[in-house]
Amino acid sequence: MASAAIYSLFIINKSGGLIYYKDYGSAGRTDTNDSLRLASLWHSMHAISQQLSPTPGCAGIDLLQADNFDLHCFQSLTGTKFFAVCETGAQNIEVLLKVIYELYTDFVLKNPFYEMEMPIRCELFDLNLAQVIQKDRVALLGR
Amino acid sequence: MPPPTAPKSGDALFASVERVNAELFTLTYGAIVRQLLTDLEEVEEVNKQLDQMGYNIGTRLVDEFLAKSNVSRCADFKETADVIAKLGFKMFLGVTATVTNWDAEGTSCSFVLEDNPLVDFVELPDTCQGLQYCNVLSGVIRGALEMVSMKTEVTWVRDMLRGDDAYEMRVKLTKQVPEEYPYKDDD
Amino acid sequence: MIGVGKAKQYANVLDKPLSRGRQEVSLSAFAFLFSELVQYNQTQVDNIAELERRLEDAGYAVGARVLELLCHREKGNRRENRLLDILLFIHSTVWKVLFGKVADSLERGTEHEDEYMISEKELLVNRFISVPKDMGAFNCGAFVAGIVRGVLENAGFPAVVTAHFVPIEGQQRPRTTILIKFAEEVLQREARFG
Repeated sequence: MASAAIYSLFIINKSGGLIYYKDYGSAGRTDTNDSLRLASLWHSMHAISQQLSPTPGCAGIDLLQADNFDLHCFQSLTGTKFFAVCETGAQNIEVLLKVIYELYTDFVLKNPFYEMEMPIRCELFDLNLAQVIQKDRVALLGR
Repeated sequence: MPPPTAPKSGDALFASVERVNAELFTLTYGAIVRQLLTDLEEVEEVNKQLDQMGYNIGTRLVDEFLAKSNVSRCADFKETADVIAKLGFKMFLGVTATVTNWDAEGTSCSFVLEDNPLVDFVELPDTCQGLQYCNVLSGVIRGALEMVSMKTEVTWVRDMLRGDDAYEMRVKLTKQVPEEYPYKDDD
Repeated sequence: MIGVGKAKQYANVLDKPLSRGRQEVSLSAFAFLFSELVQYNQTQVDNIAELERRLEDAGYAVGARVLELLCHREKGNRRENRLLDILLFIHSTVWKVLFGKVADSLERGTEHEDEYMISEKELLVNRFISVPKDMGAFNCGAFVAGIVRGVLENAGFPAVVTAHFVPIEGQQRPRTTILIKFAEEVLQREARFG
């Protein structure tokens, strides 16, 4: 069976706190402490990259390519970051991250029981995210 | 990397989002104001609470605006104001605001609304003459802008419920400082 | 609107013509407002039953006004006095105006003859809301139950109206039922009509 293009998804708030983590395959599984550490590390790296830029107005890293994974990152203008660890060469992840951002604006931000900047525990977000990932997976396998 | 999608026009944006009858919105807001008047009794307290509610809404609504409108970082406050007036109001309330009365520094302007779905069927009774019925709107602007690192003061200049000929909000940019790494709470 | 001059000023809001109900706002605008309504009320209560009651009360005010508005605009000031007619009015007209569609179903309770149910796969007000597990069966649809009660009571059909989640076999999400229990006097009057 073809492996899923996405290994894991992270959402971090503007202070670098991990508010959502989901893994999609044994290849990328990390335990809670590791995922918190990773999120915090990525938050710092992303911020440093903006300062390393030789030209002004850098918005930070949006793609990191390693030999056995790609990491795509999307940061909203409000500072929330959505990043996914994927298999090398995974396509259209930026589009997927934008879709996930919209799901966040619907099923997290419109939930009166969600407190801003806190970990996301919204059933509708999980359900809709799963559908989106599943659709994406089907589209990939169909190619 | 695919090229960034071009931002849509206000009309196209409003047409692309799911919409509801404005009356549901107007009546629900009326119910909120009524609840606050019963709970808090003092009109000034209600004004403050409406502003706070608006602020809370603004902090959450801005991400949806950014996600759906595809606007990129605005070059200056003038551009920001334009975007709010033409795209922001339109996308959520279905009406556009006009931006006027810029000050010399370009940090202060007015949003003028002639159409306002919050206030259909509303008339202020004598007992509530100090009520700033639309305070939720000024709060929304303030909350939304704060999330993109712009601190503002928003005040009402004209209010049709008080007999004026339009709704006019004065927005003043007081501070624009995006947080830079290392952040203060890293110590 | 392009090309239209400034709106005519009316001295008295009562002189202003009633809108035809065609103006729209985004669903998001309503959802954010409703979310604030729920959040505000959460700060005012100690328990879930109180939260439900406050949301119902907020809805009641909306229902009372909707009835007046629609009676005038859609029904030419005609007043329903039969039980089934008022229920159909709510299920179809009220629902269509407020939520953009007629309700999924209207049924009579099987166990009690004073009970009727209006059901929806998902209430519009709940579209983006995920109730935390520790809040049990709490349903923000209490607001809608309040709207229904507001319509019924002001039309002369006093009733107790509540909102419930009903799990459905094979479905991940429960549907919502608005349960209407009419006061004794309503049934007696209905019986007199024959």
